[in-house]
Amino acid sequence: MDKKKEVVMVGMDDSECSHYALRWALQNLGQTLSRSHLLLFSAQPLLEFTVDLINDLQENQRKATLSLLANAKEICAKHGIIGEMATEVGEPKEAICKAAEKLDIQLLILGSHGRGAIQRAFLGSVSDYCVHNAKCPVLVVKRPA
Amino acid sequence: MADVVAKQRKILVAVDESEESMYALSWCLKNVVSENYNDTVVLLYAKPIRSAYATLDGTGYFFSSEVVATMESYNKEMAGSDMAKAKKVCNDFGEVEVEKRVENGDARDVICRAAQELGPVVLVMGSHGYGLIKTYFQLYSF
Repeated sequence: MDKKKEVVMVGMDDSECSHYALRWALQNLGQTLSRSHLLLFSAQPLLEFTVDLINDLQENQRKATLSLLANAKEICAKHGIIGEMATEVGEPKEAICKAAEKLDIQLLILGSHGRGAIQRAFLGSVSDYCVHNAKCPVLVVKRPA
Repeated sequence: MADVVAKQRKILVAVDESEESMYALSWCLKNVVSENYNDTVVLLYAKPIRSAYATLDGTGYFFSSEVVATMESYNKEMAGSDMAKAKKVCNDFGEVEVEKRVENGDARDVICRAAQELGPVVLVMGSHGYGLIKTYFQLYSF
């Protein structure tokens, strides 16, 4: 009887930092990833426009997100790891934490923009939010300057 | 025929007396340490330097040098025993290189400084899971 595999989730967007985080994880945590399920997650931000436009724009957003995830899945395949894709609509930081809880994630991996304190105050930080609010261990991968 | 030497990696783990950091250490040993690499786990313990204590009502107290000396030796003992506990967790896990570092100062600065110096591949620490108010008291009332 197969022991239940742990699920490791990598939060992705179109930034170079999250792709760096994915590659870092594939290189350094290869052993852990090969014995767990790898989930590639990307959030589609909610768009606020008129009702007519919204469906088209949301559909475009969905296509862009899925192609981003497919690309990430290919990067995983190059390292011999199978990544599954998942996406939700919502604000990235909340969507990531909610998904991590719902799917009983054992490890959340995120990239970091490396912004200073003032930029963080204005633009927000997904990794900061998740470190404080996710119920599971969080690994924040920083890109070397 | 030359043997491929496994890449050397340093893993910095911040430990204190809490259960959370022991859990983080054992989590790290299970999930981060890998046989594919030549891993060294560096256990870092920060000994806080305290010469003045503040109380909630705003008055501060300075302690005489004898009291400070007693507290220092107590802190040293605590550091020793926590390190021993951490070392035991590592030994129980199996074959892994362990280094110990005890430094003086505020844990936050000590950890960041050590991370800068050692250039580890990853820094592991536990989280107390304090809410907003508890965090405030931890940060602003020694």
